[in-house]
Amino acid sequence: MTTIVGRLRGLPSVQVTLAAALLVLGFLVAAQIAGEGPRIRYSTEERSPLIETALGLQAQQEALKAQIVDLRERIGQLEAQGPGAAESLKRLYADLEDARVAAGLIAVSGKGLAFRLEDGNQAGGLDALVTARDVRTLVQELWLAGADGIAVNGERVVGSTAILDIGGSILVNSAYLAGPFEVRAIGPADLYDRLQASVAFVQFVQRRIEPSGLRLSVAQPDKVDLPAFAGTVNLRYARPVATTAP
Amino acid sequence: MTAEQAPLAVVRRGGSRLPVVVVATILGLLVVGQLRGQAGVPGLSGLTATELTQLIANLTAGNDQFRREVADLDQQESKLAEARDRGASTVDELQNDLSRIRAWAGLTAVTGQGIAITVQGPIGGDGIEELLNELRNAGAEAIAVAGVRVVAGVVVAGAPGDLSIENAPLGDSFEIRAIGSPQILTGTLTRTGGVIAQVGATYPDARLVVSPVETMTLAATDRDLGPTDASPRL
Repeated sequence: MTTIVGRLRGLPSVQVTLAAALLVLGFLVAAQIAGEGPRIRYSTEERSPLIETALGLQAQQEALKAQIVDLRERIGQLEAQGPGAAESLKRLYADLEDARVAAGLIAVSGKGLAFRLEDGNQAGGLDALVTARDVRTLVQELWLAGADGIAVNGERVVGSTAILDIGGSILVNSAYLAGPFEVRAIGPADLYDRLQASVAFVQFVQRRIEPSGLRLSVAQPDKVDLPAFAGTVNLRYARPVATTAP
Repeated sequence: MTAEQAPLAVVRRGGSRLPVVVVATILGLLVVGQLRGQAGVPGLSGLTATELTQLIANLTAGNDQFRREVADLDQQESKLAEARDRGASTVDELQNDLSRIRAWAGLTAVTGQGIAITVQGPIGGDGIEELLNELRNAGAEAIAVAGVRVVAGVVVAGAPGDLSIENAPLGDSFEIRAIGSPQILTGTLTRTGGVIAQVGATYPDARLVVSPVETMTLAATDRDLGPTDASPRL
Protein backbone atom coordinates (compact mmCIF):
# COMPACT_ATOMS: atom_id res chain seq x y z
CA MET A 1 0.00 0.00 0.00
CA THR A 2 2.78 2.34 1.07
CA THR A 3 4.62 1.45 -2.11
CA ILE A 4 1.59 2.29 -4.28
CA VAL A 5 1.04 5.59 -2.50
CA GLY A 6 4.71 6.31 -2.78
CA ARG A 7 4.65 5.53 -6.50
CA LEU A 8 1.58 7.67 -7.00
CA ARG A 9 3.24 10.52 -5.16
CA GLY A 10 6.17 10.06 -7.44
CA LEU A 11 4.01 10.63 -10.52
CA PRO A 12 4.14 14.12 -12.05
CA SER A 13 0.96 16.11 -11.34
CA VAL A 14 0.38 16.50 -15.09
CA GLN A 15 0.00 12.76 -15.48
CA VAL A 16 -2.48 12.59 -12.61
CA THR A 17 -4.54 15.42 -14.12
CA LEU A 18 -4.39 13.74 -17.51
CA ALA A 19 -5.52 10.42 -16.09
CA ALA A 20 -8.46 12.06 -14.29
CA ALA A 21 -9.45 13.99 -17.40
CA LEU A 22 -9.26 10.84 -19.53
CA LEU A 23 -11.48 9.03 -17.06
CA VAL A 24 -14.14 11.77 -17.28
CA LEU A 25 -13.68 11.81 -21.05
CA GLY A 26 -14.40 8.10 -21.16
CA PHE A 27 -17.65 8.55 -19.24
CA LEU A 28 -18.72 11.43 -21.44
CA VAL A 29 -17.94 9.60 -24.68
CA ALA A 30 -19.99 6.64 -23.45
CA ALA A 31 -22.86 8.93 -22.42
CA GLN A 32 -22.72 10.77 -25.72
CA ILE A 33 -22.81 7.56 -27.76
CA ALA A 34 -25.66 6.22 -25.65
CA GLY A 35 -27.62 9.43 -26.10
CA GLU A 36 -26.90 9.81 -29.81
CA GLY A 37 -28.94 8.78 -32.77
CA PRO A 38 -32.66 8.55 -32.65
CA ARG A 39 -33.05 10.07 -29.24
CA ILE A 40 -34.35 8.21 -26.28
CA ARG A 41 -33.43 4.75 -27.33
CA TYR A 42 -32.85 4.56 -23.62
CA SER A 43 -36.35 3.43 -22.91
CA THR A 44 -38.59 0.70 -24.21
CA GLU A 45 -38.85 -0.06 -27.89
CA GLU A 46 -42.41 1.27 -28.08
CA ARG A 47 -41.58 4.73 -26.68
CA SER A 48 -38.77 5.50 -29.04
CA PRO A 49 -40.83 5.84 -32.25
CA LEU A 50 -43.49 7.74 -30.30
CA ILE A 51 -40.95 10.32 -29.18
CA GLU A 52 -39.61 10.63 -32.70
CA THR A 53 -43.14 11.15 -34.03
CA ALA A 54 -43.86 13.77 -31.37
CA LEU A 55 -40.64 15.62 -32.15
CA GLY A 56 -41.48 15.56 -35.85
CA LEU A 57 -44.97 16.92 -35.17
CA GLN A 58 -43.58 19.65 -32.93
CA ALA A 59 -41.19 20.69 -35.70
CA GLN A 60 -44.12 20.77 -38.15
CA GLN A 61 -46.08 22.90 -35.71
CA GLU A 62 -43.25 25.42 -35.40
CA ALA A 63 -43.07 25.69 -39.18
CA LEU A 64 -46.85 26.11 -39.50
CA LYS A 65 -46.89 28.81 -36.81
CA ALA A 66 -44.12 30.70 -38.56
CA GLN A 67 -46.11 30.42 -41.79
CA ILE A 68 -49.24 31.81 -40.09
CA VAL A 69 -47.40 34.81 -38.64
CA ASP A 70 -45.76 35.46 -42.02
CA LEU A 71 -49.08 35.24 -43.90
CA ARG A 72 -50.79 37.59 -41.43
CA GLU A 73 -47.99 40.11 -41.89
CA ARG A 74 -48.25 39.87 -45.69
CA ILE A 75 -52.04 40.26 -45.53
CA GLY A 76 -51.62 43.33 -43.35
CA GLN A 77 -49.19 44.80 -45.88
CA LEU A 78 -51.55 44.05 -48.79
CA GLU A 79 -54.41 45.71 -46.96
CA ALA A 80 -52.28 48.74 -46.27
CA GLN A 81 -51.48 49.00 -50.01
CA GLY A 82 -55.17 48.66 -50.91
CA PRO A 83 -56.67 51.04 -53.43
CA GLY A 84 -58.84 52.57 -50.78
CA ALA A 85 -58.50 56.26 -51.03
CA ALA A 86 -62.00 56.48 -49.62
CA GLU A 87 -62.16 57.55 -46.01
CA SER A 88 -64.43 54.64 -45.09
CA LEU A 89 -61.95 52.12 -46.44
CA LYS A 90 -59.05 53.76 -44.64
CA ARG A 91 -61.09 53.56 -41.47
CA LEU A 92 -61.73 49.87 -42.10
CA TYR A 93 -58.00 49.17 -42.46
CA ALA A 94 -57.28 51.07 -39.26
CA ASP A 95 -60.00 49.17 -37.38
CA LEU A 96 -58.61 45.90 -38.63
CA GLU A 97 -55.13 46.82 -37.47
CA ASP A 98 -56.45 47.87 -34.06
CA ALA A 99 -58.39 44.62 -33.73
CA ARG A 100 -55.29 42.59 -34.57
CA VAL A 101 -53.23 44.44 -31.99
CA ALA A 102 -55.97 44.02 -29.36
CA ALA A 103 -56.25 40.32 -30.15
CA GLY A 104 -52.50 39.77 -29.75
CA LEU A 105 -52.02 38.92 -33.42
CA ILE A 106 -49.25 41.49 -33.79
CA ALA A 107 -45.89 41.45 -32.01
CA VAL A 108 -45.39 44.25 -29.51
CA SER A 109 -42.50 45.87 -27.62
CA GLY A 110 -42.22 48.01 -24.55
CA LYS A 111 -40.86 48.33 -21.07
CA GLY A 112 -41.60 45.55 -18.68
CA LEU A 113 -40.37 42.59 -16.70
CA ALA A 114 -38.79 39.23 -17.45
CA PHE A 115 -39.34 36.54 -14.83
CA ARG A 116 -37.48 33.27 -14.82
CA LEU A 117 -39.11 30.36 -13.00
CA GLU A 118 -37.00 27.26 -12.50
CA ASP A 119 -37.24 23.91 -10.79
CA GLY A 120 -35.61 23.60 -7.38
CA ASN A 121 -33.12 20.93 -6.36
CA GLN A 122 -34.01 17.31 -7.05
CA ALA A 123 -33.95 16.68 -3.32
CA GLY A 124 -37.13 18.74 -3.12
CA GLY A 125 -39.06 16.02 -4.97
CA LEU A 126 -42.20 16.78 -6.94
CA ASP A 127 -42.82 19.97 -4.99
CA ALA A 128 -39.62 21.40 -6.42
CA LEU A 129 -40.92 21.14 -9.99
CA VAL A 130 -42.52 24.13 -11.70
CA THR A 131 -46.14 23.32 -12.52
CA ALA A 132 -48.62 24.87 -14.92
CA ARG A 133 -50.38 26.30 -11.90
CA ASP A 134 -47.22 28.19 -10.88
CA VAL A 135 -46.94 29.69 -14.36
CA ARG A 136 -50.67 30.52 -14.37
CA THR A 137 -50.41 32.19 -10.97
CA LEU A 138 -47.55 34.38 -12.16
CA VAL A 139 -49.43 35.26 -15.35
CA GLN A 140 -52.61 36.10 -13.42
CA GLU A 141 -50.73 38.26 -10.93
CA LEU A 142 -49.09 40.14 -13.80
CA TRP A 143 -52.48 40.77 -15.42
CA LEU A 144 -53.88 41.99 -12.11
CA ALA A 145 -50.89 44.30 -11.69
CA GLY A 146 -51.71 45.93 -15.02
CA ALA A 147 -49.62 44.09 -17.61
CA ASP A 148 -50.42 45.04 -21.19
CA GLY A 149 -49.19 41.82 -22.76
CA ILE A 150 -47.55 38.59 -21.60
CA ALA A 151 -45.63 35.72 -23.19
CA VAL A 152 -44.36 32.45 -21.72
CA ASN A 153 -41.23 31.07 -23.39
CA GLY A 154 -42.17 32.92 -26.56
CA GLU A 155 -45.85 31.90 -26.54
CA ARG A 156 -48.12 34.93 -26.43
CA VAL A 157 -50.81 34.71 -23.76
CA VAL A 158 -54.18 35.64 -25.28
CA GLY A 159 -57.82 35.22 -24.26
CA SER A 160 -57.93 31.60 -25.43
CA THR A 161 -54.63 30.55 -23.85
CA ALA A 162 -54.75 27.52 -21.58
CA ILE A 163 -51.72 26.56 -19.48
CA LEU A 164 -51.65 22.88 -18.53
CA ASP A 165 -49.34 20.22 -17.15
CA ILE A 166 -48.62 17.49 -19.68
CA GLY A 167 -46.17 14.98 -18.26
CA GLY A 168 -42.89 16.75 -17.67
CA SER A 169 -43.72 19.72 -19.85
CA ILE A 170 -46.22 22.57 -19.77
CA LEU A 171 -48.66 23.16 -22.60
CA VAL A 172 -49.17 26.83 -23.47
CA ASN A 173 -51.50 27.49 -26.43
CA SER A 174 -50.48 24.44 -28.45
CA ALA A 175 -46.78 24.46 -27.63
CA TYR A 176 -45.19 21.98 -25.23
CA LEU A 177 -42.67 23.93 -23.21
CA ALA A 178 -39.89 22.78 -20.92
CA GLY A 179 -38.34 24.76 -18.11
CA PRO A 180 -36.83 27.09 -17.22
CA PHE A 181 -39.91 29.21 -17.87
CA GLU A 182 -39.45 32.80 -18.87
CA VAL A 183 -42.55 34.90 -18.34
CA ARG A 184 -42.19 38.27 -20.07
CA ALA A 185 -44.64 41.07 -19.51
CA ILE A 186 -45.01 44.60 -20.86
CA GLY A 187 -46.65 47.04 -18.51
CA PRO A 188 -46.48 50.33 -16.66
CA ALA A 189 -43.20 51.56 -15.20
CA ASP A 190 -44.31 50.54 -11.70
CA LEU A 191 -45.42 47.05 -12.71
CA TYR A 192 -43.00 45.38 -10.30
CA ASP A 193 -44.01 47.65 -7.41
CA ARG A 194 -47.65 46.85 -8.05
CA LEU A 195 -46.83 43.16 -8.11
CA GLN A 196 -45.01 43.36 -4.81
CA ALA A 197 -47.95 45.18 -3.30
CA SER A 198 -50.24 42.28 -4.19
CA VAL A 199 -51.02 40.07 -1.19
CA ALA A 200 -51.64 37.11 -3.48
CA PHE A 201 -48.24 37.51 -5.17
CA VAL A 202 -46.45 37.78 -1.84
CA GLN A 203 -48.27 34.67 -0.64
CA PHE A 204 -47.31 32.87 -3.84
CA VAL A 205 -43.64 33.62 -3.15
CA GLN A 206 -43.80 32.87 0.56
CA ARG A 207 -46.01 29.80 0.49
CA ARG A 208 -45.10 28.18 -2.79
CA ILE A 209 -41.77 29.41 -4.18
CA GLU A 210 -39.67 29.62 -1.04
CA PRO A 211 -40.68 26.43 0.83
CA SER A 212 -40.39 24.25 -2.26
CA GLY A 213 -37.04 25.63 -3.33
CA LEU A 214 -38.31 26.84 -6.71
CA ARG A 215 -36.18 29.60 -8.16
CA LEU A 216 -37.88 32.81 -9.23
CA SER A 217 -35.81 35.70 -10.52
CA VAL A 218 -36.78 38.91 -12.24
CA ALA A 219 -35.06 41.36 -14.56
CA GLN A 220 -36.16 44.73 -15.88
CA PRO A 221 -34.75 44.89 -19.40
CA ASP A 222 -34.79 48.14 -21.36
CA LYS A 223 -37.10 46.56 -23.89
CA VAL A 224 -39.35 43.53 -23.74
CA ASP A 225 -40.46 41.95 -27.02
CA LEU A 226 -43.58 39.82 -27.18
CA PRO A 227 -44.27 37.73 -30.27
CA ALA A 228 -47.59 37.62 -32.10
CA PHE A 229 -50.04 34.85 -31.24
CA ALA A 230 -49.60 32.24 -33.95
CA GLY A 231 -52.67 30.09 -33.34
CA THR A 232 -55.97 29.87 -35.09
CA VAL A 233 -58.60 32.59 -34.68
CA ASN A 234 -61.43 30.79 -36.42
CA LEU A 235 -64.72 30.38 -34.62
CA ARG A 236 -66.79 27.22 -35.10
CA TYR A 237 -69.50 27.64 -32.49
CA ALA A 238 -69.60 31.36 -31.77
CA ARG A 239 -71.13 33.80 -34.26
CA PRO A 240 -70.63 37.53 -33.96
CA VAL A 241 -73.80 39.39 -33.09
CA ALA A 242 -74.48 42.02 -35.71
CA THR A 243 -74.12 45.55 -34.35
CA THR A 244 -74.65 48.91 -35.89
CA ALA A 245 -71.60 50.44 -34.30
CA PRO A 246 -68.07 49.17 -35.13
CA MET B 1 21.04 26.05 -17.76
CA THR B 2 22.81 27.43 -20.79
CA ALA B 3 21.39 29.83 -23.28
CA GLU B 4 20.97 26.96 -25.81
CA GLN B 5 19.14 24.71 -23.33
CA ALA B 6 16.49 27.20 -22.29
CA PRO B 7 14.23 27.00 -25.39
CA LEU B 8 14.33 23.20 -25.22
CA ALA B 9 13.07 23.24 -21.65
CA VAL B 10 10.19 25.45 -22.67
CA VAL B 11 9.28 23.08 -25.49
CA ARG B 12 9.40 20.13 -23.12
CA ARG B 13 7.12 21.83 -20.61
CA GLY B 14 4.77 22.82 -23.43
CA GLY B 15 4.89 19.30 -24.81
CA SER B 16 3.76 17.75 -21.53
CA ARG B 17 0.84 20.21 -21.29
CA LEU B 18 -0.32 19.63 -24.85
CA PRO B 19 -2.19 16.36 -24.15
CA VAL B 20 -3.96 18.02 -21.22
CA VAL B 21 -5.04 20.91 -23.43
CA VAL B 22 -6.28 18.51 -26.14
CA VAL B 23 -8.19 16.37 -23.65
CA ALA B 24 -9.66 19.44 -21.94
CA THR B 25 -10.85 20.79 -25.31
CA ILE B 26 -12.53 17.51 -26.26
CA LEU B 27 -13.95 17.30 -22.76
CA GLY B 28 -15.46 20.77 -23.08
CA LEU B 29 -16.97 19.99 -26.48
CA LEU B 30 -18.50 16.78 -25.18
CA VAL B 31 -19.97 18.46 -22.11
CA VAL B 32 -21.60 21.10 -24.31
CA GLY B 33 -22.85 18.42 -26.70
CA GLN B 34 -24.27 16.39 -23.88
CA LEU B 35 -26.06 19.38 -22.33
CA ARG B 36 -27.47 20.47 -25.69
CA GLY B 37 -28.58 16.96 -26.48
CA GLN B 38 -30.50 16.71 -23.24
CA ALA B 39 -32.09 20.11 -23.72
CA GLY B 40 -33.32 19.09 -27.15
CA VAL B 41 -36.09 16.84 -25.85
CA PRO B 42 -38.13 19.16 -23.68
CA GLY B 43 -40.04 17.10 -21.21
CA LEU B 44 -40.68 14.22 -23.59
CA SER B 45 -38.31 11.88 -21.79
CA GLY B 46 -40.54 12.04 -18.73
CA LEU B 47 -43.70 10.96 -20.56
CA THR B 48 -45.19 7.48 -20.48
CA ALA B 49 -46.22 5.71 -23.68
CA THR B 50 -49.88 6.59 -22.99
CA GLU B 51 -49.03 10.25 -22.42
CA LEU B 52 -46.95 10.28 -25.59
CA THR B 53 -49.84 8.81 -27.56
CA GLN B 54 -52.12 11.52 -26.19
CA LEU B 55 -49.52 14.15 -26.99
CA ILE B 56 -49.25 12.90 -30.57
CA ALA B 57 -53.03 12.96 -30.94
CA ASN B 58 -53.12 16.54 -29.61
CA LEU B 59 -50.25 17.66 -31.83
CA THR B 60 -51.84 16.05 -34.88
CA ALA B 61 -55.20 17.73 -34.19
CA GLY B 62 -53.46 21.03 -33.48
CA ASN B 63 -51.41 20.83 -36.67
CA ASP B 64 -54.57 20.11 -38.69
CA GLN B 65 -56.06 23.30 -37.26
CA PHE B 66 -52.91 25.23 -38.13
CA ARG B 67 -53.05 23.86 -41.70
CA ARG B 68 -56.65 25.00 -42.05
CA GLU B 69 -55.64 28.44 -40.80
CA VAL B 70 -52.76 28.55 -43.29
CA ALA B 71 -55.14 27.56 -46.11
CA ASP B 72 -57.64 30.27 -45.10
CA LEU B 73 -54.92 32.90 -44.87
CA ASP B 74 -53.46 31.80 -48.23
CA GLN B 75 -56.87 32.23 -49.79
CA GLN B 76 -57.32 35.62 -48.15
CA GLU B 77 -53.93 36.78 -49.36
CA SER B 78 -54.69 35.65 -52.93
CA LYS B 79 -58.03 37.49 -52.94
CA LEU B 80 -56.40 40.66 -51.67
CA ALA B 81 -53.59 40.44 -54.22
CA GLU B 82 -56.09 39.88 -57.05
CA ALA B 83 -58.22 42.79 -55.91
CA ARG B 84 -55.16 45.02 -55.70
CA ASP B 85 -54.11 44.02 -59.22
CA ARG B 86 -57.61 44.76 -60.52
CA GLY B 87 -57.65 48.04 -58.67
CA ALA B 88 -60.74 46.89 -56.82
CA SER B 89 -61.46 47.00 -53.11
CA THR B 90 -62.34 43.99 -50.96
CA VAL B 91 -64.61 45.66 -48.47
CA ASP B 92 -66.64 42.52 -47.77
CA GLU B 93 -63.51 40.48 -47.22
CA LEU B 94 -62.08 43.07 -44.85
CA GLN B 95 -65.32 43.42 -42.94
CA ASN B 96 -65.60 39.65 -42.48
CA ASP B 97 -62.03 39.51 -41.25
CA LEU B 98 -62.63 42.39 -38.87
CA SER B 99 -65.81 40.84 -37.54
CA ARG B 100 -64.12 37.47 -36.97
CA ILE B 101 -61.08 38.93 -35.17
CA ARG B 102 -63.18 41.24 -32.98
CA ALA B 103 -65.47 38.37 -32.00
CA TRP B 104 -62.52 36.10 -31.23
CA ALA B 105 -60.84 38.78 -29.11
CA GLY B 106 -64.05 39.50 -27.19
CA LEU B 107 -64.58 42.96 -28.64
CA THR B 108 -68.05 42.10 -29.95
CA ALA B 109 -70.92 40.08 -28.56
CA VAL B 110 -71.19 36.49 -29.76
CA THR B 111 -73.95 33.91 -29.80
CA GLY B 112 -73.96 30.12 -29.98
CA GLN B 113 -74.43 26.87 -28.11
CA GLY B 114 -72.40 25.92 -25.06
CA ILE B 115 -72.64 25.24 -21.36
CA ALA B 116 -73.46 27.01 -18.12
CA ILE B 117 -71.75 26.25 -14.83
CA THR B 118 -73.67 27.32 -11.78
CA VAL B 119 -71.33 28.08 -8.89
CA GLN B 120 -72.68 28.18 -5.35
CA GLY B 121 -70.90 28.34 -2.03
CA PRO B 122 -67.41 29.31 -0.92
CA ILE B 123 -64.75 28.98 -3.59
CA GLY B 124 -61.47 30.85 -4.16
CA GLY B 125 -60.38 32.71 -7.27
CA ASP B 126 -57.86 29.97 -8.00
CA GLY B 127 -60.71 27.45 -8.24
CA ILE B 128 -62.59 29.58 -10.76
CA GLU B 129 -59.40 30.19 -12.74
CA GLU B 130 -58.85 26.40 -12.85
CA LEU B 131 -62.32 26.05 -14.39
CA LEU B 132 -61.68 28.82 -16.93
CA ASN B 133 -58.33 27.30 -17.86
CA GLU B 134 -59.97 23.93 -18.49
CA LEU B 135 -62.75 25.55 -20.52
CA ARG B 136 -60.13 27.18 -22.76
CA ASN B 137 -58.32 23.88 -23.07
CA ALA B 138 -61.57 22.18 -24.11
CA GLY B 139 -62.03 24.69 -26.92
CA ALA B 140 -64.41 27.27 -25.45
CA GLU B 141 -64.57 30.12 -27.96
CA ALA B 142 -66.03 32.72 -25.63
CA ILE B 143 -66.47 32.76 -21.85
CA ALA B 144 -68.29 35.04 -19.44
CA VAL B 145 -68.37 35.04 -15.65
CA ALA B 146 -71.49 36.63 -14.16
CA GLY B 147 -72.04 38.38 -17.48
CA VAL B 148 -68.49 39.75 -17.71
CA ARG B 149 -66.70 38.59 -20.84
CA VAL B 150 -63.41 36.90 -20.03
CA VAL B 151 -60.70 38.25 -22.34
CA ALA B 152 -56.92 38.60 -22.09
CA GLY B 153 -56.15 40.32 -18.79
CA VAL B 154 -59.40 39.47 -17.02
CA VAL B 155 -58.84 37.44 -13.85
CA VAL B 156 -61.24 36.14 -11.21
CA ALA B 157 -59.45 36.74 -7.93
CA GLY B 158 -60.01 36.72 -4.21
CA ALA B 159 -60.55 34.45 -1.25
CA PRO B 160 -63.73 32.37 -0.82
CA GLY B 161 -66.61 34.73 -0.16
CA ASP B 162 -64.65 37.66 -1.52
CA LEU B 163 -64.40 36.93 -5.22
CA SER B 164 -64.30 39.66 -7.81
CA ILE B 165 -63.94 40.13 -11.51
CA GLU B 166 -62.93 43.43 -13.09
CA ASN B 167 -63.26 45.06 -9.65
CA ALA B 168 -66.88 43.94 -9.39
CA PRO B 169 -67.70 41.59 -6.51
CA LEU B 170 -69.16 38.19 -7.33
CA GLY B 171 -71.92 37.03 -5.05
CA ASP B 172 -72.27 33.66 -3.34
CA SER B 173 -73.91 32.30 -6.44
CA PHE B 174 -73.08 33.12 -10.06
CA GLU B 175 -72.87 31.53 -13.46
CA ILE B 176 -70.01 30.86 -15.85
CA ARG B 177 -71.12 30.58 -19.47
CA ALA B 178 -69.02 29.28 -22.32
CA ILE B 179 -69.69 28.92 -26.04
CA GLY B 180 -68.34 25.76 -27.64
CA SER B 181 -69.27 22.14 -28.14
CA PRO B 182 -71.54 21.27 -25.18
CA GLN B 183 -70.49 17.62 -25.35
CA ILE B 184 -66.76 18.32 -25.34
CA LEU B 185 -66.97 21.05 -22.70
CA THR B 186 -69.18 18.98 -20.38
CA GLY B 187 -67.13 15.82 -20.93
CA THR B 188 -63.82 17.56 -20.23
CA LEU B 189 -65.03 19.29 -17.07
CA THR B 190 -66.94 16.40 -15.53
CA ARG B 191 -64.71 13.43 -16.37
CA THR B 192 -63.48 11.32 -13.49
CA GLY B 193 -60.61 13.16 -11.83
CA GLY B 194 -61.36 16.19 -14.01
CA VAL B 195 -61.34 19.81 -12.98
CA ILE B 196 -64.78 19.76 -11.34
CA ALA B 197 -63.67 16.87 -9.15
CA GLN B 198 -60.37 18.57 -8.34
CA VAL B 199 -61.95 21.90 -7.49
CA GLY B 200 -64.62 20.06 -5.48
CA ALA B 201 -61.88 18.38 -3.46
CA THR B 202 -60.20 21.71 -2.71
CA TYR B 203 -63.48 23.50 -1.98
CA PRO B 204 -65.80 20.78 -0.63
CA ASP B 205 -68.54 23.25 0.32
CA ALA B 206 -68.78 24.71 -3.18
CA ARG B 207 -71.41 23.32 -5.53
CA LEU B 208 -70.72 23.29 -9.26
CA VAL B 209 -73.43 22.22 -11.69
CA VAL B 210 -72.74 21.94 -15.41
CA SER B 211 -75.60 22.03 -17.90
CA PRO B 212 -75.74 22.34 -21.70
CA VAL B 213 -77.29 25.46 -23.20
CA GLU B 214 -78.76 25.43 -26.72
CA THR B 215 -78.15 29.05 -27.42
CA MET B 216 -76.71 31.94 -25.48
CA THR B 217 -75.33 35.39 -26.14
CA LEU B 218 -72.23 36.67 -24.42
CA ALA B 219 -71.72 40.42 -24.29
CA ALA B 220 -68.59 42.16 -25.57
CA THR B 221 -65.94 43.14 -23.09
CA ASP B 222 -65.99 46.61 -21.54
CA ARG B 223 -62.23 46.51 -21.31
CA ASP B 224 -60.11 48.55 -23.69
CA LEU B 225 -57.86 45.91 -25.23
CA GLY B 226 -55.69 48.43 -27.03
CA PRO B 227 -52.18 48.51 -25.57
CA THR B 228 -51.23 51.45 -23.39
CA ASP B 229 -47.64 50.51 -22.58
CA ALA B 230 -46.80 48.28 -25.55
CA SER B 231 -46.09 49.43 -29.09
CA PRO B 232 -46.95 47.25 -32.07
CA ARG B 233 -43.92 46.08 -34.04
CA LEU B 234 -45.51 46.66 -37.45
